[in-house]
Amino acid sequence: MNDYPQILFKNRVVGETAFIDRFRANGGYQGLEKGLREMTPQEITATVKASGLRGRGGAGFPTGVKWSFFPADQPVEKFLVINGDEMEPGTYKDRQLLLADPHQLIEGVILSAFALQVSHAYIFIRYAYEECSRNLEQAIAEAKEAGYLGRDILGTGWDLEIHLHRSAGRYILGEETAQLNGIEGVRPNPRSKPPFPAAKGLWGKPTNVNNIETIACIPHIITGGPGWFINLGITQGGVGTKLFGLSGHLNRTECFELPVGIPLREVVETFGGGVRNGKGFKACLPGGASTPFLTAQHLDTPMDFEPLEQLDSRFGTAGVTVFDETTCMVGATLNLIRFFARESCGWCTPCRDGLSFVQWILEEIEAGRGNRDQIAMLKDQKKNITGRSFCALAEGAMGPLDGLLRHFEQELEDHVKLGRCPFGD
Amino acid sequence: MVNLTIDGKQVTVSKTATIYEAAKEAGVDIPVLCYAKKLLPFGACRVCLVEVEQMKGRLIPACTTPATEGMVVTTNSDEIAKVRKTVMEFLLVNHVLDCPVCDKGGECDLQDLTYDFEVNSNRFEGVKFDLPTDEVNPLIERNMNRCVLCGRCVRVCDEIVAYGSYSFINRGFETKIATAFDRGLSCEFCGQCLSMCPVGALLPRPFKFKARPWQLKEVDSVCGYCGNGCTVTLGCKDNQVQTIRFNDKIGVNDGNLCVRGRFGYSYVNRDDRLTTPLVRKDGQLVEASWDEALDAVSSALKDGKAGILSGARLTNEELFLLKNVAKTASASLDHSGGECYKGVTEGLQETLGLASSTGTFPQVEDADVILSIRSDFYETHPVFGMVVNQAVKRNGAKFLVLSDKTGKFNKLPDAQTLLTKPGLEVNVLNAICAALLESGQAKTDGVSGVDEFKSALADYAPAKVSAQTGVPVEAITAAAEQLAGAKKGAILLAYGLPYTAQSKELAIAAANLAILSGLAAQDEAGLYICGEKANSQGAIDLGILPGDGLGAQEQLAAAAKGDLDLLYVIGEDPMTSYPDGAKVEAAINGAKMVVVQDLFLTPTAEQADVVLPAASFAEKDGTFTNAERRIQRVRPGITSPGEAKSDFEIFTSLLGRLGAQVSYTGPQAVFAALAAENGEYAGIDFDAIGPQGVVWGGDKLAPKQQVLVSVSGLQPVEARFQLVTGSALYHSGTTSTRAKGPRAVIDEAYVELGREDAAELGVATDDQVTVKANGNTVKLKAKVDNRLPKGVVFVPNHFAGTGLNKIYQGAASVAVEVTKG
Repeated sequence: MNDYPQILFKNRVVGETAFIDRFRANGGYQGLEKGLREMTPQEITATVKASGLRGRGGAGFPTGVKWSFFPADQPVEKFLVINGDEMEPGTYKDRQLLLADPHQLIEGVILSAFALQVSHAYIFIRYAYEECSRNLEQAIAEAKEAGYLGRDILGTGWDLEIHLHRSAGRYILGEETAQLNGIEGVRPNPRSKPPFPAAKGLWGKPTNVNNIETIACIPHIITGGPGWFINLGITQGGVGTKLFGLSGHLNRTECFELPVGIPLREVVETFGGGVRNGKGFKACLPGGASTPFLTAQHLDTPMDFEPLEQLDSRFGTAGVTVFDETTCMVGATLNLIRFFARESCGWCTPCRDGLSFVQWILEEIEAGRGNRDQIAMLKDQKKNITGRSFCALAEGAMGPLDGLLRHFEQELEDHVKLGRCPFGD
Repeated sequence: MVNLTIDGKQVTVSKTATIYEAAKEAGVDIPVLCYAKKLLPFGACRVCLVEVEQMKGRLIPACTTPATEGMVVTTNSDEIAKVRKTVMEFLLVNHVLDCPVCDKGGECDLQDLTYDFEVNSNRFEGVKFDLPTDEVNPLIERNMNRCVLCGRCVRVCDEIVAYGSYSFINRGFETKIATAFDRGLSCEFCGQCLSMCPVGALLPRPFKFKARPWQLKEVDSVCGYCGNGCTVTLGCKDNQVQTIRFNDKIGVNDGNLCVRGRFGYSYVNRDDRLTTPLVRKDGQLVEASWDEALDAVSSALKDGKAGILSGARLTNEELFLLKNVAKTASASLDHSGGECYKGVTEGLQETLGLASSTGTFPQVEDADVILSIRSDFYETHPVFGMVVNQAVKRNGAKFLVLSDKTGKFNKLPDAQTLLTKPGLEVNVLNAICAALLESGQAKTDGVSGVDEFKSALADYAPAKVSAQTGVPVEAITAAAEQLAGAKKGAILLAYGLPYTAQSKELAIAAANLAILSGLAAQDEAGLYICGEKANSQGAIDLGILPGDGLGAQEQLAAAAKGDLDLLYVIGEDPMTSYPDGAKVEAAINGAKMVVVQDLFLTPTAEQADVVLPAASFAEKDGTFTNAERRIQRVRPGITSPGEAKSDFEIFTSLLGRLGAQVSYTGPQAVFAALAAENGEYAGIDFDAIGPQGVVWGGDKLAPKQQVLVSVSGLQPVEARFQLVTGSALYHSGTTSTRAKGPRAVIDEAYVELGREDAAELGVATDDQVTVKANGNTVKLKAKVDNRLPKGVVFVPNHFAGTGLNKIYQGAASVAVEVTKG
C-alpha cells in the first residue's frame, strides 16, 4: 500500500525490533562510518544545514541552523540532549521508531554528537516508554561492543557516552529547558531564555536539544546526501519524509512514513482508510493537539510547514487526529484544553490561571449552561494568553481553541441557543 | 555598556542589565510582582510585559530580558495596560480577598497593583482555594490561599539561605508552594521568605494583629546581636518594638536577616526588664533611687581596687565613656571574659600588625576561594553565612570548611570538609602551611620569619597531621593548592565566649596561612575575624582591654582571693556564659562589692550588691562597629522602661561623681572625642555616617607587616566522649534566651549526639542524658542528629541554669562521660 520510499521505517517489521545484526545487514552504521572517517564535524553540520531538515518535535526549527549556533569548536564541556518526552495527544511516532529500530537513533546521536563535538549525550525517555528504554539500553550496549561508542571512536580520538535518562515525564518536559531541569533532577519548569541552551543549558553548559525523529534522519542525510534528502519531499521546499501518526475516527490508525508535502486527503483516505463507519470528515488536528483544526475544505493541503502555516495551523509532529461529522467540536476542544490546563507547570499566570478559566467556560458551554458573553470571553482569552506566557505550552493550548473559534463558532452558538450539546445523546 | 530607548528616554546601562533595570535607571517604573532585586530573574507573573520594537509580535518580559543595543522599549500602551489588568484578574480568580483581616494590608503588592490597574470587578470567576493554614511553627504563618505563586520564598530559601525549605508542587491550577511532603514548615526560621513575600501568604506570627504597617514608627538601626551588623528597621508602636522589618536599601546585609535578628527583638519588651536600681539591704535586693545606687558604685570605684567587666553590646560612645570611668577610678577594665578576643587580637598583631578583618562582607560574595574555620560560622554570623552561600552557590567559589563537626556550610554544593578531631584546627592549618611551603606554592615575598617557621613546621607534615586529626592528606594538599590559586580568597574565623581555647594560636595559624597563600596581600577580602557580639570590634578598637591592669580572668582570680573591692559587671552574665563557673562563683563571693548593670536580673545580678537597670539596643543612640570595621548608626525606637537608663547616662553620671570634668551633649560629642583619640576613627564625622556606614581603614585594610609566627597545635584528647561547646543557630550570647522568637525554636539547652553514639547509648532525642566531667555532672535532654562524628558531643553555651560551665573550663574539648538517664 505504501509505495513511498521508506527511510526511517525501512527496518520496521511490526512486532519486532531490529537490533544490531539486522540493522547492519540493512546498511546501518554506514552513515556513521562515512561521517566519522571521511568528514569533519563542520562538514556534517554543513550537510545537515544544506539538507533543509526541520525539527520533527513540533516547532520545525531548521536543525542545521540550530547546530550552527552551537559552540562546537569551543573546548568546554557541552551536551547533546535527545528529546523523547513524547506526550502530546495524537503523537506517537517516536515510540514507533524506537520499537522498530533503536540503532537508527543511536547512529544519529553519535553522528550529531560528533558534529557538535560533545562527549556526553542524554536520551530523555518518559516512563511510559519502558519498552523503548529497554531497546535503547540494548542498542547502546551493542553499539559500545561494536566500538561505535566509548573511547576513541573509529580512531578519531573522540569519546562519547550515551546516557539513557528515564524520566517520570510530563508534557511540560517536552519543552527543552524544562527537560534540562528534569535531567538535573529539579522541578521541570521551563527556564528563562536567554540564556538559550546553546549558551547555558544542562548544568549551565552549552547544550543542544533535538527530537528523536530529527536525529534519526541524520545518518540518512549523511549517507544519501542533502540533494537526495531534499528530493524525498513532494512540495517545493518540503524536504525528507515524515512519520505520520494517524488517530481518531479513521478506519486505520497507524503510523506511516510518508513524504513531506503529501496531501492531507491522501493521508486520510489512502493511509487512514477513510473515516470509519462511512461517516463524513469533519475536522482534524494536522500535527498534534496543539495545532489548530483543519476542516474538509482543507483536505487538499500539502502536509508541510508553509502550506499549513498559511492556513493558520501548523505541521507540528504530523500526528493527524481525525474527527467525524458526529463529533462535538466544543467537547473535543474541551478535552484538549483539559489536557493542557492539567499539564501546565503552574509557573506563569496566564497559563496556570488562564487555561483553567478557558476550561471552565468550555465546560459550562458544553453542559448547556453557557451564554454568549462566554463566547466573547473565549475570544478575549485567546488574546490574553497567546504570546504572553512564559513558554510555548499555553500558546499551543490556544491552538485548538483558535481552530474552534475560527471554524466552529456556530457550534458554540448552537450550544448556547439550545442549552445543551447538539451532539449529545 | 549598551544604549537603549525606553518610553522615549535614552539610557545607557551595563551589558548585564535587564530591561526592567534599565527602565529603573531611566526613571521609568515597570510594575513587578515576582521580581526581586536580589534573586535571579524569574519571569513568571507576567505583570512586567513590555513592547520592544525589535521583537514585535509578542510582549516581552522586562524582568528577564537583557537590554541590548538600540532596543526601543515601550512600557505603557493600551494593550500593555490591558494585559497587566488581565494578569491581575487571573491572579484574583482564586485569591481570597480577606484584606480586612490580612496583616499585609497596606503594604501588599497585589493590593497596590489591583488598585493601580483599577481592577474594580473581575470578569473571571472561578474556584477560591480553601487550603488549611500552616501554623505548626510559632514564627511563620503560611496561608497559601493568599499566595500568588511568585516563587520568591522558594527562591530566597534556595538562592540565599541555601536551606531549600520550599518548592512548587502539583501542576496547573493546583500548583502551590509546599514544604517537604507538604507538612508544616520546619526550618531555620530566618524568615527571609517573609521579607520576600509580596502578599499576605507568609506572615510573622509574633506580629499578627499587632499593628497596621502605617501605624508603625519605623526606625533604621543596627541589630544588637552578633558582629554582622545587619540593618534592622524597628517597627514601633505603644513604646514597644512590635516587629523587625527588613531594609534592603541601606546597610551591609542587603535586607537579609536571621532568626534572631528578625524574631529576637521581644526581649526588649519583656515585663521582667529591670526598671529601678536595686541595692542589697539585709541580704535582699530592694528598690533604690539612682542617687543611692550610683553613690554606692562611685564610692566603691573611688576608694577601692576595682575591676570592670564589660560586654560588647555597648555602643562605641558608651565604651569610650566606660574607659574614662576606668581611667578616672584607676580600675582594671576588660570585656567578654577576656581570653577569646585577646588571643585573637594579639595573634593578628604579631603576624599582620592589625586587629581586625581585612576586607568587607560584600567582597566575600565575589571571592573565588573561601576557607571557613569551624562550620559554626553559620551559627555565629548567619547573615555573613548567607553571603558565603551566594559566593558558593551563585558565583561558584571553591569552599573549604575546617571543622570538628558538620553543619549547614558542609552541605553547600562541592563544599570540601576537612573534618578534624576536636581542638586540632591549628594542627590542620599548620599542615596546610607546610603543604604550601613543600610544594613551592607559598608566597614568601616580603614575608619575614620564613625559615624559622619552616623548621617549626617539621611536626606538622600533612601525613603526620592527617594521622593525628583524621583529615585526609589529599584534603590538606588540595586546600593548599586552592588557597594558593585564589585571586580573591577569604579565610573566616569567628571568636567569642564559647571559643576561648587556642584563640591566639588559631589567629596566628590563620594569619600564617593568609600570608603564605598570598591572600593577606590581595586587593580584596583576606582574613575575617568576626566577633560574637554587635560591637565586639568596637570594643577592640576602643581598647576595652586590660592594658596595665588586670584582665578578666585575673580580675576573677583577684576577686576570689578577696583582693578586689569592687567587681563591676556591665552587660555580661559571667555566671552563665563564662567558662569555669566555679571560678566565677568564687569571684562573686570573694569580691567585697558586686555591681551588675543589665537589662535583667541575671544569675549574676541575683548575687550582686547593686543592680543598675540599663537600656537595650532599641533604646540607644550611638554607633556599633561590625566585624568588617563598618561603623554604623544605632538609633532609638522606644524609650527605656521605668527608670532604666542607657549605659551612656549611667557612665556620664558616674564620671561626674568621680569628679571628672565631662559635659558631653550626646553621642555625637562623644564620638568626636573618641575619634580624636583613636587613630583609626580619626576624621570620621558622626553626622556623616551614612546609610552604608563608614568602614574605617577603607574596604581593604592592608596588613602592616607579614610575619610568620610558629604556633603549636594540641594533642588529641583520648576519651570515649569529648564535649565541645559553641553557638546554636538560633541564639546569640545569653540575651536571645530571653527572646520569644529564638526560644520558640530552642528553649532549653541540650546535648547533641551523633546517631552512632546515640544508638550505642540507647538514647533518643529528648531522653535525659548525664554528662560528667571535672567531678561535676549536668543533666540535659538529648538531641540526636548527624552533625557530629562518633565520640563528640556538643552543648550550646547560651542557657542559664544548665551549668555547662561546671564541666567546661575553657578547653578546646573536654573528656566527658556520657550516660543515659
